[in-house]
Amino acid sequence: MFLNQFLFFAAILFSIGVYGVLTRKNGVLVLMSIELILNAVNINLVAFGALHQDISGQVFVLFVIAVAAAEVGVGLAIVLLIFRNRRSINVAEADLLKG
Amino acid sequence: MMSLFAQVPVSTPEIQWFYLAPILILALGGVLLITLTSVAPVMRGRHISALFTVATGVLALAFLPFIAARLDGLVDPVAGQGGRPAVDLVSSALVVDHFTLWVSGLISVAVILVAVMLDGYLEREGFESPEWYALLLISASGGVILASAEDLIVTFLGLEILSIAVYVLAALHLRRSESQEAGFKYFILGALSSAIFLYGIAMVYGATGSTTLTGVAGSMTGRNAAGLSPAVDSSLVMVGIALMLIGFGFKVSAFPLHIWTPDVYQGSPTPIVGFMTSAVKVAAFGGMMRVFLVGFGGTFASDWRVLVLFMAGFTILFGSFLAIVQTNIKRTMAFSSIAHAGFMLVGLYAAASPVAIGDTGKRAVLFYLLAYTFMSIGTFAVISIVGKKGDGNHSIEAYRGLAKREPLLAMAFTVLLFGQVGAPFTAGFFAKFRVIAAAAQVERTEAYILAGVAMLGAAVGAYLYLRVVVAMFLDVQESPSTEMADSADETLALVEVRALEVPPATLAVVLLAAVVTLVLGIFPDIGSGALAEAALALVR
Amino acid sequence: MIPALAQSSVLAAQTAFPILPALIITPLLSAVAILLVPSHRQSEVRLVALAGSTITGAMAVWMMAAFDKTEAGFQFVVNEPWLTSMGLNWHFAVDGISLFMIVLTGILFPIAILAAVPQHDSKAYHAWIMVLMAGSMGVFMALDLLLFFVFFEVVLIPMYFLIGGWGHGRRIYAALKFFIYTMAGSALMLVGIVSLAFLTASRTGNALTFDVTQLAEAQALGTTAQRLIFLTFALAFAVKVPIFPLHTWLPDAHTEAPTAGSVILAGVMLKLGTYGYIRFGVYLFPQAAYDLAWIFLTLGVVGILYAAVVATMQKDLKRLVAYSSVAHLGFIVLGIFTLNTQGLTGSVFQMVAHGVSTGALFIMVGWVYERRHTRQIAELGGLQKPAPIFAAAFTLVMLSSIGLPGLNGFTGEFLILLGGFQAARWWTVFAVLGVILAALYLLWAYQRVFHGTPTGDNIDMPELKASEGLVLLPLLVLIVFMGVYPKPMLERIEPSIERLVAHVEANVDGFIEPGPVQVPERPSDAVTLTEALEEAEKKAAREEGEVEDSVDEEGREASLAEGETTK
Repeated sequence: MFLNQFLFFAAILFSIGVYGVLTRKNGVLVLMSIELILNAVNINLVAFGALHQDISGQVFVLFVIAVAAAEVGVGLAIVLLIFRNRRSINVAEADLLKG
Repeated sequence: MMSLFAQVPVSTPEIQWFYLAPILILALGGVLLITLTSVAPVMRGRHISALFTVATGVLALAFLPFIAARLDGLVDPVAGQGGRPAVDLVSSALVVDHFTLWVSGLISVAVILVAVMLDGYLEREGFESPEWYALLLISASGGVILASAEDLIVTFLGLEILSIAVYVLAALHLRRSESQEAGFKYFILGALSSAIFLYGIAMVYGATGSTTLTGVAGSMTGRNAAGLSPAVDSSLVMVGIALMLIGFGFKVSAFPLHIWTPDVYQGSPTPIVGFMTSAVKVAAFGGMMRVFLVGFGGTFASDWRVLVLFMAGFTILFGSFLAIVQTNIKRTMAFSSIAHAGFMLVGLYAAASPVAIGDTGKRAVLFYLLAYTFMSIGTFAVISIVGKKGDGNHSIEAYRGLAKREPLLAMAFTVLLFGQVGAPFTAGFFAKFRVIAAAAQVERTEAYILAGVAMLGAAVGAYLYLRVVVAMFLDVQESPSTEMADSADETLALVEVRALEVPPATLAVVLLAAVVTLVLGIFPDIGSGALAEAALALVR
Repeated sequence: MIPALAQSSVLAAQTAFPILPALIITPLLSAVAILLVPSHRQSEVRLVALAGSTITGAMAVWMMAAFDKTEAGFQFVVNEPWLTSMGLNWHFAVDGISLFMIVLTGILFPIAILAAVPQHDSKAYHAWIMVLMAGSMGVFMALDLLLFFVFFEVVLIPMYFLIGGWGHGRRIYAALKFFIYTMAGSALMLVGIVSLAFLTASRTGNALTFDVTQLAEAQALGTTAQRLIFLTFALAFAVKVPIFPLHTWLPDAHTEAPTAGSVILAGVMLKLGTYGYIRFGVYLFPQAAYDLAWIFLTLGVVGILYAAVVATMQKDLKRLVAYSSVAHLGFIVLGIFTLNTQGLTGSVFQMVAHGVSTGALFIMVGWVYERRHTRQIAELGGLQKPAPIFAAAFTLVMLSSIGLPGLNGFTGEFLILLGGFQAARWWTVFAVLGVILAALYLLWAYQRVFHGTPTGDNIDMPELKASEGLVLLPLLVLIVFMGVYPKPMLERIEPSIERLVAHVEANVDGFIEPGPVQVPERPSDAVTLTEALEEAEKKAAREEGEVEDSVDEEGREASLAEGETTK
């Protein structure tokens, strides 16, 4: 396989993820979009690791997976808190803060 | 098969625990606190968590002079650091040098001061929970890791440890919906920016084949020891640098990534905002300086510093001009913190310039961080006091006549505000002076223009601080009791009647911040030795 | 010339007591002392402020006596390191240009404190005044560029609080406008200062320094850089002076400020701008100042005429005086940018004269307001009848402001016009119109306020009290003394100005100072400035039908001799 195939695939995933974060109103879907971006990074890292014959790319991926899990954990907890207070996880309704 | 009992040596990286002390103390302090409070009911008493946190911070701080002494005593400084005293730790994952020490010192001070002010805050709000302090400590340890990371993987880890804890802290005022909303916004945008940052790291790794900063820098100049990829794909590097700039830009709230700042500052618990403006900013700038000046300081500096130039100019302008129309003091201070970030970016721009004479730019940023840490923590300590129970009394009207009711508080706040204006004989003046001097030293037209824009922004920004001063001192005729908080929470109107309660510890934080602001403004030579060494440690 | 040995011993004697730091620290200490006075003993607050400012003023006068008038350079030098890594020093010194600014500050502050009592918060009010005094002292003696900037900015803060806290009407608006305007004006100056220091350091290869004398001697900048940096300085000073299009903050600030604030604003703070032009603008950037002088000459003249016309239309007495200030400062700017000895000496003299007479005017307008609770010219009238002594004092002050020969306003204005005719003839022709207009609007205002038959409350206008008379007396004495016997001042100002002009000559291509007085039949250098002035004064006095002539023969000889030695 060619390197650019991985890179394009990752770029597409990344774009979908960014699009999801910016447009989705459901808090959980926003979290999933962020996961997509992180996975795009993982694909890049593995591909570059293979290119350079270097282990640190793959090691990095393991770190990213762990951090992503922690991040989602925190994110879901916050979504849950919002849900408890407002009975909704629609981020568009969260509009208390403005100047 | 190798016997379980045969003593076969394996080679593990040598770890010099002594140099890791600040990180370990802060991180273990956090873990220990949460563990102890779960198992020992004695630990749940009043003030104990705060005292524990302060003690932890002081301990971390106390180690720094000894580490500095040990660093200076090194016979053979690490190669690749330009002969500056530095120690590579954990097989080049972290580096401890005077720059690390400076940043660690600021973060520890921030932890101590924020913990003190958090104590009064939590008591008023009726939370008696150690997790605030534990998260504070863990976040601080992440900050130190971020600023001392020598490997981009560790940079990312430090950034995440720093950030995730703060996401939680922002949302931790359980009774205020605003707090959760702020936490969620901060989390979403923060996670997005971290992911983009990570994408940038992947690009840089792909282009250079290395994740260590020295490796990245080495391969860019074509002097990679392993001889790998001498021809670096420069477009890939540029994309990577730009994406990483976005990640750091978000953390320091630089234009155009500043939009989250006012919302998050408005909603988050006030002492936590104090932490965000001090420790988080220090750590983010620390990491940014190390990554950009050490990692990308060579070949590509002339490319990314143009980005930083525009970022800095627009950040200052946006921060200064948008602050004018705000009525909520926390939003106002959010814009002010954006403007300050812009000033520090001017310093970073200067530091990235190929200037042979001195490290004025680096010193400017580091001094700015020192000054701003104290000024912002003091400011948010005052805001936290005036916020009253429920943390919602944040309209500028709430400050009307404060000088009559709390003269000492008002005087100290005035010093802090004038410090942020950059008035003479305050730390803020020398912070701005150093930044402008650094920009002037570049001796380029665009740098002069940037310095001019920065100073004009500062003059416009003066208005926002003066409005608060006017409210405190000059509007004495109007009765303060007629003023209502413009918060959505209507029950606050009842709270309004109660007098301001000023926890002595929080007041002490405010006074200390004001005194430091003045002392650094009158004797700016204090600590300049450490400052110079810290700046010199970042060798490109 | 005086032997170097004697000179150094004089300097050694002068530096024995650090008079300059003492001039800053004494007011600061009294500010602290004021804060320590218990709040219920309000009267003692005033006493402390008065004592502190009087001691400072006395020290300033003593310094004037100890000042070596044969020495053109800087005296009473104090130079201590401040921020060594950036080349900053606590560098204070005084020469003939700054000496009288400091004396003026020392005299005006106690008078301003005496002239008006604050309505509330006496403690904070007096503390701020003392801080302001310390700052004003510092700004005139700072010889480190950044130190100067620091003091230049720091005086804004107490003034901001004084206007905002104890002013009238739209005081908060006026205070904010004042602060933001001046801050924005000087924002670019900081960029200019650091650019100048760094460019000089990198061009000359010397260590980074902000020392004014070293930077002025180096003259390392190219033409464009020098002009641009000069303009950043000029902008800051132009706002402070204020020069014509940037003057709009001044009438508001003056009108809303409390009396003491107005006195200090007009007497001391506006001089920061003109002093800055001389000390920093011309001294550091002679070439740029010479090349761009036409801008400032034009703006100065436009300011004179514009302010005069606007002053004529004012309905508020205090606003009228404020606009007359703008016109007077236009004259000073004109004098500075003639870049010759007469013009510059006249400017320095006029700065002091304007401080004294406008200060007195503001004090008296403040008293009118205290008595009548209005400053509207239309509501006043016929005050001469119930209060003749008050009216007489006002007349004297007003005439000095108009520039009547024999009073202080004339000397400076005459020297400025004298210098102007040599350097910038056509500008000066228009500026002379301003003198006439000044007479017009001030006399007209006087006529409306004091003449006629008093009506309504004007009938009961209280007369000048003895205590008030005592406050005013020093200023009146100064007005007359400076008018009839300017020599002690001029002979101290002149050497430093001549040194400055020589510096300009040395550093500007093709600029040779025109002779002091262009009298064809005599070689130009035979006539000293003092003599020319005295002659002109005599002539003017004859024209006025007055026989007052107090020229001291010995003094003239001394000045002749001195003029020759300094040539």
